[in-house]
Order: sequence, then C-alpha cells, then structure tokens
Amino acid sequence: MTKYIQAIVGILIVCVLLFFVRNELNASSNSKSADVLTIYNWGEYMDPELVDRFEEETGIRVIYETFDSNEAMMTKIEQGGTSYDLAMPSEYAIEKMKENNLLIPIDSSKLPNLQHIDPYFLDLPFDPGNEYSIPYFWGTVGVAFNPTLLEGQTFESWEDLWDPALKDEIILVDGAREVIGMGLNSLGYSLNSTNPAEIDEAREKLTTLSPNIKAILGDEIVETMRRGEASIALVWSGQAADIMWVNEDIDYVVPKEGSNLWFDNMVIPSTAANVEGAHKFINFMLDPEVAAQNADYVGYSTPNKDALPIMDPEVTEDTRFYPTEEMRERLEVYKNLGPEMLGKYNEAFLKFKIDAQ
Amino acid sequence: MSRTSPIAKVYLFLVFAFLYAPIFYLIFYSFNSGGTMSSFDGFTLEHYGAVFQDNRLMVIVINTVLVALLSALLSSAIGVLGAVGIIFIQRKKYRQTLLTMNNILIVSPDVIIGASLLILFTLIGIKLGFASVLIAHVAFSVPIVVLMVLPKLQEMNQSYIDAALDLGASKRDIFTKVILPYIQPGVFAGFFLALTYSLDDFAVTFFVTGNGFSTLSVEIYSMARAGITLTINALSGILFIVTFVLVLGYYALSNKMKSPIRAGVPK
Repeated sequence: MTKYIQAIVGILIVCVLLFFVRNELNASSNSKSADVLTIYNWGEYMDPELVDRFEEETGIRVIYETFDSNEAMMTKIEQGGTSYDLAMPSEYAIEKMKENNLLIPIDSSKLPNLQHIDPYFLDLPFDPGNEYSIPYFWGTVGVAFNPTLLEGQTFESWEDLWDPALKDEIILVDGAREVIGMGLNSLGYSLNSTNPAEIDEAREKLTTLSPNIKAILGDEIVETMRRGEASIALVWSGQAADIMWVNEDIDYVVPKEGSNLWFDNMVIPSTAANVEGAHKFINFMLDPEVAAQNADYVGYSTPNKDALPIMDPEVTEDTRFYPTEEMRERLEVYKNLGPEMLGKYNEAFLKFKIDAQ
Repeated sequence: MSRTSPIAKVYLFLVFAFLYAPIFYLIFYSFNSGGTMSSFDGFTLEHYGAVFQDNRLMVIVINTVLVALLSALLSSAIGVLGAVGIIFIQRKKYRQTLLTMNNILIVSPDVIIGASLLILFTLIGIKLGFASVLIAHVAFSVPIVVLMVLPKLQEMNQSYIDAALDLGASKRDIFTKVILPYIQPGVFAGFFLALTYSLDDFAVTFFVTGNGFSTLSVEIYSMARAGITLTINALSGILFIVTFVLVLGYYALSNKMKSPIRAGVPK
C-alpha cells in the first residue's frame, strides 16, 4: 500500500509543479485582460509575432487554436462548445457555412483598412458584397515541374501534359474539382461547368492521360517533388511555393487555357462571443504592414495591394505567385454547384481513378 | 542469449531497426540547419532553442503531460475498482456481459468515441477545455486498466482471501493488504499503458479540445497543410530522450527493490 501512496503523491506533486509552470508561461505571454478573442486557423498559417503585437496594442487576450481541414473546422463550430470568434475557411466552405447559418455578417464600417484590399479580390461569387468574409490569402492551381528531369519540356498549355514522352511522370492532387477542372479547362470549358456532357467529355479526355500518370496523392506531393522522385505535379500554388522553397530547380506554371483561383478568408462564426474584438482583429490583419509581415512568414499570396510595395520585390514581381491582371482574367473561382452537381464531379473523378489503374 | 542462432539475431536486429529507424531519422533532422527534412545542410541547435522560446508550444506540451498523468491516475483508480467488482460478481452470465462491454470500448474506433463525447459534452453544457479532455481520456483509459488488472486478479488464489477472512480481516483490510499488493504489477502496467494512450491520442482529443486548451497531437496534425517545422522534430527528440530516461529509471528502481511481494504480508 505504501508504494501506491508514494506513487500517487509523486504524480500529484509533478502535476502541481507542471500546473504552476503552465500558469507562469500563460501569464508571461498574455495580458490579464478579461477581453478574450478566440481565433481558429490552419496550423502554421499566421505569424505568432503578430498575435503578440495585437495583444499589446489592444489589450485583448488572444486564444489561438488550429485545425487541419475545412470539414473538421465546420464540425467543431457547428457543435459549439467553444466560442470561436474568428476562423479562416476556404471559399467553398464559406458557402456551406452560409447555408447552414454558421456565420455572422461582417460590419465593413468597422474595417477602415478594407480599402487596402485589391478590389479584384472583393465581391466574388462565393460571397457577393463580402457580407460574411474578408480575403486572407489566395492562390492558383497549376503545374509544378522539375526542368532538370525533363529535357526542356515546358507547360504553356494543359495539352502539354498529354505528351507521350511524359509516360509515368505526372502526379495529380487527389481532389475531384481540381482534376476534373483541369480536364474541363483543357477542353476550353469552364471549370464550373454544369453540363453533364462536358463533364463526361472531360473525364474521357483525362482517361487518355492515364499512361502519363504516376500517382494521385495528397500532401505527400510536396515531399515527393522536393526529392526529385517525380518531375511533374498538378498542385495548389501554396504547395508549389513550399516545394520551390527547398528545391530551386522546380518551376510553377498556370497553363494558358485557365485554371482555378482559390481563397482563404476570415469569417466570424455564429459561435462568436466577441464580435467587436473579431472586427478589430480583421482590421489589424488588413493593415498593409501587418499583411506584408504575415505573407512573408506564411509564404502564400496576399490580396492586400498596399502590402505589396513593402514586401520583397523578388516575391511580389514573381508572376507565378502574383499573376498579372491579364493572366488572372483566365482564372475562375469555384462556384458552389450544389450537392447534386458535386456528386457528378465526384463520380466522374472516381470513374477516372478506376480507369486509370 | 548465447544459444540464439545468428539468423535469429539478425532477424531481431531488423525488427528493432524497423521500429526505431523513423524515430532516429526524425531526430537526425532536428539538427538540420536547413529548414526542411529533404537535405541535411549542417549541424545546428537552433530548433531546440526555438522549442523553449515558443511559449504556446511549451504550454501545449505541459497540457499534454498534465492530462496524461491525471487521466492515467484517475483511470487506474476507477479501473482497479471496476476490475475487482467484475471479478467478484458470482453470476457468470453478468460477469461475461460486463467484460464484453469493457472490450467493446477498447476495440471501438476513436472517432466514434470522440464524436459521441463531443455531442454529450455540448448537450449537457460542459465547456470544452481541460475538463472535457481529461474526462474523455479517463473514459477511454478505464477499459485498458481493467484489462491489465483482470488477469492478475484471476490468477490470485481465492484461498488468500479465505485465509484473511479466517484471521479476522475486515473487507477493507482484504482490499488494501491482500488484493492491492498482489495485483500491483497489473496496476502499474495499466497506469503506464493509460499514460501512453493519453499521450498519443489524436482522434478523441481533437473533438473535445477547445477554449485555448490543446494537446500536442492535435497541434502537430493541424500543421499538415502549411508544413511541419523542424521545431517539432526537436520537440520529438526531447520527448523521446525524456521517455527513454524515465523507462531506464523505472527499470533501475524496480531491479533495486526486487523484493518479491507476498500477498498478505504487509511490509
């Protein structure tokens, strides 16, 4: 029995010690304000220094939590339990959250810094009038390739992927909208096509690509490309930036027929307890200097036009990640096509995957 | 050992190499001065410094350990009582039913346990945070402790209890002076298993974290999209070494105190 008591006392002492260290750490990093703001963001998607700066400037204590997918985030918000005041979902998730009444409208009169956002990124189909969302980061879908492994091949057009010389070289991202969208774009159709005949045609076209396909992967693409284990991949520009950060040989191209333009946006979930603080934080993030520092830390493209002159020109002049307006005209934002149409896309993608085996 | 054939040795070596290679690979890159795990550029300790400078990460590590220790302690207490209760049920049918229910909880997927706990907590109004995570971890650890303690109870000779009763021991004495010392190895095994279960659980924890309370597994998993930094490698290295030292210390201690425990003979 004494052994048990010793063990229990020992564990409890350790717990008390840990508890004190934890409180000490919490106290040193946060002001003791009663005004609390809970932020729910993707992992590694905001410069922690900016959170500290916001706390110092406003006296609001920030609780920062992270998620790994739009779906997981929506589940947590829908169930309640935590009063998330601010979240950063992707555009298609915003439409879903709007439909499920999970968002609180944003009062743009409280956001004087909204003027710094490039109007091009405002008033988009997924949220007309920016009633519920403010752009945070954006990017494209395109082709990352390793020229050292590919004797001078370039990718001006989606059609170039069909080159028989590229047998077993291409990796595709495992996303129905991305892959079927590529098929539609290569045929000159819109990637928001709701015409079943066009989707079918795109699928058939993609099936002829199967000899060139090496694999269909998720986040592993980044590591595979970095190591030079594959030479071509269909990826999001954020992933491409991650790849190029390490392997400078690799290049990224958005084919000329057009492609997808994606967004992550700041929204105020219906669970919010501190709507005032959430507006303050959005306005803080829209400050050009803050946006520039954040974009520099995260490495994705910022929609803040006044942040660009402050940033490293080598980054902002790179048209692969900051395409010119002329280039952007060929890009399309995903529309919410409704569950039935989305089912068609998923079915076509599944059929394509089966045929590709 | 001298009689094991060379093939058996090689096989054993391969098994352990397979188990430990990923960990050593991870730790190796924690000393990489380059920012990623794709090429080794040079030796540095900056990632280890970054671990201790990152207050948020340190708080999360402490959260993780706190929840693990407390939940293992609570679930050991509950689990031991549960196991003793199950073993003394006379009707075999009831005992079997309870055991089966215990086993179902062990094999049922974490996602289901996590989602049900989330729904339960929000339904009865428990705020997500430290309490909800602790309760959830106790909930999935208790069946494991029960399973670790039961075999010890089953192998215990019923005559010990009869003898103690004959000598005038109270029910309380029987529990603290006969049963508990006898099943001690099982209890400690259950405690450590509950500890490791709690430390590495992701699925259940993900559902019940909130209000700024997060654990390491949830935090690392959410980095998947923007990339996991080498700080995590350094942290994993530290945790590995700490665990290693603790396990070594545990064996050293248990070797030193190798006086066999005899039931009913209080020291």
